[in-house]
Amino acid sequence: MLFDQAIDIPECLNAEALTVSLMGEKARYSLRLKSADVSAIKKASGLKLPAKIMGASHGKDVTCAKLGPDEWIVIADPVQKPKLDKALAKVSKDFTCSVTDISHRNVGFGITGADAAKLINVGCPLDLSLEKFPVGKAVRTLFESASILLIRTDEQSFHMECWRSFGPYLRDFFARVVTTR
Amino acid sequence: MFEIHCPYCNEKRPEIEFAYAGEAHYVRPTAKEQSEMSDEDWSRYMFIRDNKRGEHAERWWHNAGCNMFFNAIRNTVTDKFVMTYKMGLPPRTDKQIDAARRTDAKEKASS
Repeated sequence: MLFDQAIDIPECLNAEALTVSLMGEKARYSLRLKSADVSAIKKASGLKLPAKIMGASHGKDVTCAKLGPDEWIVIADPVQKPKLDKALAKVSKDFTCSVTDISHRNVGFGITGADAAKLINVGCPLDLSLEKFPVGKAVRTLFESASILLIRTDEQSFHMECWRSFGPYLRDFFARVVTTR
Repeated sequence: MFEIHCPYCNEKRPEIEFAYAGEAHYVRPTAKEQSEMSDEDWSRYMFIRDNKRGEHAERWWHNAGCNMFFNAIRNTVTDKFVMTYKMGLPPRTDKQIDAARRTDAKEKASS
């Protein structure tokens, strides 16, 4: 199932203070659930769906983030895909909900280094200080007009997801920022 | 950049994430009412708005964030948001708007 994400990261994005890398392929699902069913679905699927908007749970292979009052995204390692496919197919059969496989809709960038927050702030006005944006927080927002999902994985690294067709655009934008500043 | 408080995310987010969505508290007539109302009344519902100068109740859409609609009281002269509140709540009274203005001023003074 592996496919070529067709986004080459240029040399200039591999420095000590700032490294941008393309994440490998992931399994992703968009869930729209009724709030009354959430706890039952958590139990049925084994997913740790966070209760708070912008909250996220980070397991070894599976990350779940809550984007809106009834909307979650699940990002998992591809090895988990068969298991998740099966569990979520059962959920969509047993509950009134929407489960969509969006594995190939997004690509993920890993942005790491002391300048990571600085790079993101060029295109995104959120306050990325640790007290306003603690480790683990996941926010859907805009980066240079492209819709992104931004997750802080640790103090100096972020996971940024965007639609696949925006991938080359964001990559070029990162490269331009790094080479001109 | 100015920030808008989203009542669903419960935090202030940059204005570029939001879209204006018209005057608030306009209730769409039911199908039955629509079939009974005159064309004049229907066009009044569709097209005629108060276009108020000053504090105005309006709908906003957090389209790049949680994707929810909510209501806001915004001053159309100064472009200042007095308060935002969730969809489905009744129109804010003058008293509630006044109270929101006072807490806002207090927060500003303390920060």
